[in-house]
Amino acid sequence: MRIHALIAAGAALTLGLTACGSSGTSSSGSAGAASGGDIKIGLSISTLNNPYFVQLRNGAEAEAKKLGVTLTVTDAQNDASQQVNQVQNFTSQNMKAIIINPVDSDAAAPAVKIAERSSIPMIAVDRGVNGAKIAQTVASDNVAGGKLAAEQLAKEIGEKGEVVVLQGVPGTSASRDRGQGFTEGIKAYPNIKVVAQQPADFDRAKGLDVMTNLLQSHPGISGVFAENDEMALGAIKALGAKAGKEVKVAGFDGTPDGLKAIEAGTLAASIAQQPALLGQQAVQNAVKAAKGEQLQATVNVPVKVATKDNLSEFTGA
Amino acid sequence: MPVSTNVLAGRSPARNLLAENGSLAALVVLVVALSLLSGDFLTVTNLLNVGVQAAVTAILAFGSTFVIITGGIDLSVGAVAALSAIVLAWTAADTGLPWPLATLVALAVGVGCGLVNAALIAYGKLPPFIATLAMLGVARGLALVVAQGSPIEMPEAVSHLGDTVGGYLPVPVLVMALMGVVAAVLLNRTYAGRAMYAIGGNEEAARLSGIAVSRQKLVTYALSGAFAAVAGIVLASRLASAQPQAASGYELDAIAAVVIGGASLSGGKGKALGTLVGALILAVLRNGLNLLSVSAFWQQVVIGVVIALAVLLDTLRRRSSR
Amino acid sequence: MSQAREILRVEGLGKRFPGVVALDGVDLDLREGEVHVLLGENGAGKSTLIKMLSGAYQPDSGRILVDGEPVAIRTAADAQRLGIATIYQEFNLVPQLTVGENLALGRPPRRFGFVDTRRMHEQARGMLDLVGIDVDPRTRVADLGIAQMQMVEIAKALALNARVLIMDEPTAVLTTSEVRRLFDLVGQLRERGVAVVFITHHLEEIAQIGDRVTVLRDGRSVAQVPAGTPEEELVRLMVGRPIDQQYPRDAAAAGEPLLQVRDLSRDGAFSGVSFEVRAGEVVGLAGLVGAGRTEVARAVFGADPHDSGEVLVRGRRLPGGDVRAAMEAGLGLVPEDRKGQGLVLGADIAENLGLVTLRGASRGGFVDRAGQREAAARVAAQLGVRMSHLGQEVRTLSGGNQQKIVIGKWLLADANVLILDEPTRGIDVGAKVEIYQLINSLTASGHAVLMISSDLPEILGMSDRILVMARGRLVGELDAAEANQDSVMALAVTEVEDARVH
Repeated sequence: MRIHALIAAGAALTLGLTACGSSGTSSSGSAGAASGGDIKIGLSISTLNNPYFVQLRNGAEAEAKKLGVTLTVTDAQNDASQQVNQVQNFTSQNMKAIIINPVDSDAAAPAVKIAERSSIPMIAVDRGVNGAKIAQTVASDNVAGGKLAAEQLAKEIGEKGEVVVLQGVPGTSASRDRGQGFTEGIKAYPNIKVVAQQPADFDRAKGLDVMTNLLQSHPGISGVFAENDEMALGAIKALGAKAGKEVKVAGFDGTPDGLKAIEAGTLAASIAQQPALLGQQAVQNAVKAAKGEQLQATVNVPVKVATKDNLSEFTGA
Repeated sequence: MPVSTNVLAGRSPARNLLAENGSLAALVVLVVALSLLSGDFLTVTNLLNVGVQAAVTAILAFGSTFVIITGGIDLSVGAVAALSAIVLAWTAADTGLPWPLATLVALAVGVGCGLVNAALIAYGKLPPFIATLAMLGVARGLALVVAQGSPIEMPEAVSHLGDTVGGYLPVPVLVMALMGVVAAVLLNRTYAGRAMYAIGGNEEAARLSGIAVSRQKLVTYALSGAFAAVAGIVLASRLASAQPQAASGYELDAIAAVVIGGASLSGGKGKALGTLVGALILAVLRNGLNLLSVSAFWQQVVIGVVIALAVLLDTLRRRSSR
Repeated sequence: MSQAREILRVEGLGKRFPGVVALDGVDLDLREGEVHVLLGENGAGKSTLIKMLSGAYQPDSGRILVDGEPVAIRTAADAQRLGIATIYQEFNLVPQLTVGENLALGRPPRRFGFVDTRRMHEQARGMLDLVGIDVDPRTRVADLGIAQMQMVEIAKALALNARVLIMDEPTAVLTTSEVRRLFDLVGQLRERGVAVVFITHHLEEIAQIGDRVTVLRDGRSVAQVPAGTPEEELVRLMVGRPIDQQYPRDAAAAGEPLLQVRDLSRDGAFSGVSFEVRAGEVVGLAGLVGAGRTEVARAVFGADPHDSGEVLVRGRRLPGGDVRAAMEAGLGLVPEDRKGQGLVLGADIAENLGLVTLRGASRGGFVDRAGQREAAARVAAQLGVRMSHLGQEVRTLSGGNQQKIVIGKWLLADANVLILDEPTRGIDVGAKVEIYQLINSLTASGHAVLMISSDLPEILGMSDRILVMARGRLVGELDAAEANQDSVMALAVTEVEDARVH
């Protein structure tokens, strides 16, 4: 009896605490909508556990405030089915447009179809949606980013030598596009040879292990391209004193840790996405859609190369 | 039927040999094959690398060995490892606690998670799978909460655990060896260890022989938590950074290592040395796949096949012992 | 029944396992419409023989003939095709499925690709009628009694047109009236011309049910005799030497009371149980299955809690539900379910013998394993455990030797009061006598024994005093000298008026 009461109390407490904790994120952005208050926009974000998406949300909220529209943000916690429910709720809240940052490009299709039935325009941000028609996709150009990385790395190593590629989780669109861009970009340099491409799952510890192993079979490399900064940081750990000197490393994403490594000189460059810009563009176009304007199918938000020279641009934001 | 006589007489000892030394034989085969396939494999440096890469999995797996011997399972070890490392880095960085104290706090977190697991299992009568699955979520979530989703730098003194002694002998390998010896001694020489075998072999018989089963489960899962904390600290030290998402999925590697090493998932069987061999097989495999530049997709296939072979070995052994 | 035709013949069958010769030349012939009893001590080769007839093992030498033709039985399917069905002690039924589903397992009647449940249950009804039990085919097997499960197994065998039915100790788990019903059925099968191979340890059943007896010893068939052969002669053939006394009880003088139980009760299990056991005494606890004997034993030992009453050992009161305290006071329990509760089957002999003393042999958490091994070796020798070495898995030992290990661990712990729950169930005559002699030596050295048994001759032969339980209550106490089977049974079937407890 007493144990039951205790368990019940514990469950209630946990729910209460988490409810308090999450209410802050899910209703934020609704403030400051004094003038254009009749335009309501919903944004379902894949996860707020990752600083990248927090920046995306911040950009979206700032833009909503500027345009004077009401923005409701929900966190799908990387659960595709939860995201479908959230979009469904948006439709019943009479949103004029819905922005989705898909947990999974394929699993988002049902959510899009729900919005379609209610004739609410839908915009995908950061990741596309497969198998359903949407008004617009706002995303970073990962292929262009890969190309940029190739150019920057080539410049760093004097356009010759052996390089290796650390790949992300096999089969993901990010890994595919970045790798494809890099491969295309590096072709322009006949004196650079890609001697190995191995997966390290976007993970820092795996980046360390895989780089250590690759150094055994390819001790003479002069460049590394890692498809994200986490793996790049692992690779730097494996390279030790060589990093930034005999071997130049290029990463992707421009994470805070990555930028710190650029500052320290161990990471040569990182291809920075601009999540805040992604959020801003998405809201801007959502408002256009809400007003019935025609949208172009895709908006490619540019990526930028972060190096020691332009570091202040990124650390400030 | 003289032919069938020979076959029958010869089959069981061969099977026994396979069961006793199956994992060691597999490791030897793997090493020989890789030495032939890649000239870079059989070098002292590379073998030390393999040792370092096996270390975290092996330490986690030693902890899981205790649990699996009692017939349980601990799915939370990877998450607990991450949480312990985060707590260490956070207490040292944010609260300014001296690193030895922060390390003790981190170990206490690991032990605490294990005790909660055991309490849910022994007193709450939850199946170990469910109790530790819940802990996996809680520990991973708490790691994210404490770290606010971002990596925290490890105190420099602790980060030396990721270095080498005299620029040559990697500390993670030493820690792995130390934890392996601790695990072996615990299992073979102590009351707690012998009780684990008895509980896993037949819980009711153990209870009726006066072994305090619930209390011994507390010890077992607390040890698993403590080993997970050590693994987490070693992992974070190698990266000089504690990450909330570190070691995700490592619990499955740990379980695979234990089972490859000859333990039975139904309990009562398992050895620290076998677990070490299991962890080494996984590390050698991953290292070799990198050296041979096997494509990303095929790597997953190969690793999957090895894990399947591990389970096959387990069932084969059970069949031959019947 | 005209001149009985021979169905099955086994000639010079041999089988060896690594380090062990399990069978070394066994002959057996089986005629249509006979009940052929297979008799032998545990480890004599009975199980190996029937496993070869059912396709689980392949013989190394010798041959098997069916209808005069040599056959190779490589799989269970081969055996089925030849009309040989085996009913093991562990039933081959799926407890979660219904009787009908079990009977139709693997080949259920289908309609439009779906299982035709109605027809399946009708067919099952017919099969069940054949063995004469009245069970709804829609009942889940888990809800059946053990005797009913056995009948379902037999029905399954008959449905496959079995001409040879092998039954491995079918009566071991049955009550007297259930045994009677089984014998009726076996009688009917005999009329129908089925040949039955019947394994039992209960010698008195042989004359009741059997026609001929083949005796196995040490992997050989040593004799074939008619079922009417006197029991002493059968025992001599089985053991290889005459056993002068089946129950060699040497009563010692009773000393001070070691175990006192006062008014022990647990709701729904037993109530108001009081008794004592004195040093040097063997107290037998008799009663029907389900009378609450095992429940009382477990509560006394602290394996289960009790609601009221007390247990005293040497005058000191034990806390309820605390095995550790009971052990420390000097109690030991040899449980009814040897494999399920007494032994760690996958561990070796030394490990099992040292289980109880494990804690005592630990200093600062470290176990003195060399000392434990030495002690185990000593006890194993004292008990005459037949083994190859101390590192042998107990799983591979015979039932009698396994039971010696369970008792042995309490000898090592020097338990003053030993509670033996069905100590000789499933154990052959030779090993039984060894266990009785062990009980004698225990009481001679001042220990006390409380022995639960469903085997009335054993209770009568080995106890000094007999307690009888019925429906959770102690209904009587008899002096062993003046008790007989009828007086014990009369008490055991006492209808206890439903006392309103609580």
